[in-house]
Amino acid sequence: MKPLLDSQAIAKAMKNTRPEGVRKDQRLDVRYHVEHPPTADRPRKFLEAFAAILRHNPPYVLALEHYIRLQAKCGRCTTQCMIYQATGDPKDIPCHRSSMILDIYRRYFTLGGRVWGALTGRGDLTDETLREMADSVWNCTACRKCMLDCPSGIDHGLMAHLSRYILSEIDIAPRALVVSTREQLEGETGNTSAFPLPAILDGLEFLEDDMEEELGVKIKFPLDVEGAEYVFFPAVSDFMMEAETLMGNAAVFAATGDSWTIGKQYHDGINYGLFYSDRIWDRVAGKVDAETRRLKGKVILIGECGHASRAAKFGIPTFHGGKDALPVVNCMEYALEAWQKGKLKLIPNAIKERTTYHDPCNISRVKWIIEQPRELLRYICEDYVEMTPNREDNICCGGGGGTVSIDELRPYRTGPAGKAKAEQIRATGAKYCVAPCANCKKQLKELMEDQKVDCQIVGLHDLLYKAIDYSVVKKRQGISEEAPGQADTETATSEAASS
Amino acid sequence: MNETVNSMLDFARGPLFRFTFALMILGLVRLVGLTLYGALRAYLYAGDKALLWPIIRQRTLWWLFPFARFRRTRFVYSIISFVFHVGLIITPIFLFAHVYLWERGIGISWWVLPPRLADLLTVLTVVAAVALFVGRVGSSFSRTISRGWDYAWPLLLTVPFVSGFFATHPTWSPVSYSVMMLIHILSAEVIFVLVPFSKIAHCVLVPFSQLVSDLGWRFPASAGRDVAKTLGKESVPI
Repeated sequence: MKPLLDSQAIAKAMKNTRPEGVRKDQRLDVRYHVEHPPTADRPRKFLEAFAAILRHNPPYVLALEHYIRLQAKCGRCTTQCMIYQATGDPKDIPCHRSSMILDIYRRYFTLGGRVWGALTGRGDLTDETLREMADSVWNCTACRKCMLDCPSGIDHGLMAHLSRYILSEIDIAPRALVVSTREQLEGETGNTSAFPLPAILDGLEFLEDDMEEELGVKIKFPLDVEGAEYVFFPAVSDFMMEAETLMGNAAVFAATGDSWTIGKQYHDGINYGLFYSDRIWDRVAGKVDAETRRLKGKVILIGECGHASRAAKFGIPTFHGGKDALPVVNCMEYALEAWQKGKLKLIPNAIKERTTYHDPCNISRVKWIIEQPRELLRYICEDYVEMTPNREDNICCGGGGGTVSIDELRPYRTGPAGKAKAEQIRATGAKYCVAPCANCKKQLKELMEDQKVDCQIVGLHDLLYKAIDYSVVKKRQGISEEAPGQADTETATSEAASS
Repeated sequence: MNETVNSMLDFARGPLFRFTFALMILGLVRLVGLTLYGALRAYLYAGDKALLWPIIRQRTLWWLFPFARFRRTRFVYSIISFVFHVGLIITPIFLFAHVYLWERGIGISWWVLPPRLADLLTVLTVVAAVALFVGRVGSSFSRTISRGWDYAWPLLLTVPFVSGFFATHPTWSPVSYSVMMLIHILSAEVIFVLVPFSKIAHCVLVPFSQLVSDLGWRFPASAGRDVAKTLGKESVPI
């Protein structure tokens, strides 16, 4: 098979840009920055962490045992992995990556492996194996597409997740993710982007003014409203970088009249735990849960973000309440339901330009959110086209699994990891590509730039904002159709408080 | 010479067959039992027990009856692999000679393949196995991920098929019927012994894979905190 990229382009993208001195000091020749990895006794520490994780996680034991028994090494996963297809490098084969952790498990945690290892002295865990694993697991974007074509049903994404978790317990994790999580859980701002609350509030006020000027209606971001039905957690980066999406979220609620709020104490949907540590996943999900309960909210509403949605959808019931956990809803599910119930009025064919839809892996691979945004898009877009493949078979944006936050990996992300996606979008000829995920958006914007594709990356709510029929809102606020910008402040305020 | 072969044949057909076949069945039952026990344990400890049953069901059926996946990727390989699996499963179970032995031995019988179809399946299985072997050796990515056993299995699995074919058509056989039969039975018995301890165990484990892969994400509610405690990191800052 011919790789999508030539060897020169691959070599350029895979170049290790970290200072050589640091790599040498850390004895860790990986392409992402790491804070303080252990320099001595690494294999022993890794095995200790592995043992601790296995001790408290029957699911990992189940999966590892099952996979070592039936892994057939057929290589079908190569047909699904966009990274292997771009590089053609056997080391990028998902099955090969999973084998690294499976071989260690077999060697150290099964009777046969221990006996065989003792007799032959082969398969011992070395610094070099760990280095190779540390590099490899962050080449993977954890999109889990390979699982679709594994006849043995091996979830290579789960194996990459476990490998990253164990490595993070010995302090081998990308600095970008660790620093963000530290700020989110232990820092003053309490969010991954370290945005101070006053800056966020200023931004929201500015957006409210903007919307009033543009639409002639008062649309509020209700803050800290106790008893609101929906407590909203967008990816925090949306507050500063995806204003249109956020305005769309507020506009949808203004149109439906349902009550919602953004917590002042915690308002970040991002959960990097999904990418590298179950311990972090648990703690971040705990903050979302606690804030919703503090505000006496009934539903956790996650913004346009694939990983934040999956991290909450599965993390909240897993770590915080089981079947009694608070329900988790994605804002696109909410918008569709409101539209279907007639609470949200949309203007058909309001978007004239050709539009396509990118499925974020974290919400489509589990078949959770696939048709919801499409139903809305088919209604509001005059020229809606699908990219191929799509839905649960979609190709990852190339920045999944947390790699998008690792700036030093940009040449890799927009090269080998993103090449297939870029060509897929280019082939649609679309003006807008809807990517309802903060990760995908950042990655795709950089990808369009680096791969020179003329397509604007937007969120679903960016387009909904343009397609909402605001006459209902105006009527509710007592504004006549002819007088845009003259919203009755009093009505609007009481509206927002009640909503 | 003939006597030795015949006495070995008697032994291979009798006690050795019973032993190796029982070992395979019990070994596979053990694996299924361990998988179900592991799955139950994971489920009971899981913080979130709402498994994604529609996906588990759909993807399990995909791979038990993989027609839907054929057209998507690696069409030729898929067809070859499918033929190989069908031949491997159908031929020995529904071969007239085998069913006859079961009937004679324990008095039960079932539908049998017409002889010509059995011959065709045998030849196709062997051809497919050789093609799979060649595919593995001939592809650089396959060589990277392959272990020794991955090359050996397709070849080993053809031995009882080739020898069985010649045993059924003794006039074409290069060696005597008894020797061919001995090769046939012994090679099958080697396979019986190895099956539960090798990747061929997927013959009984595949139906559980999608369930296992879903359960793999169902962590216990306190798993993160417990791991921190065990590693002494409860109050260690990030």
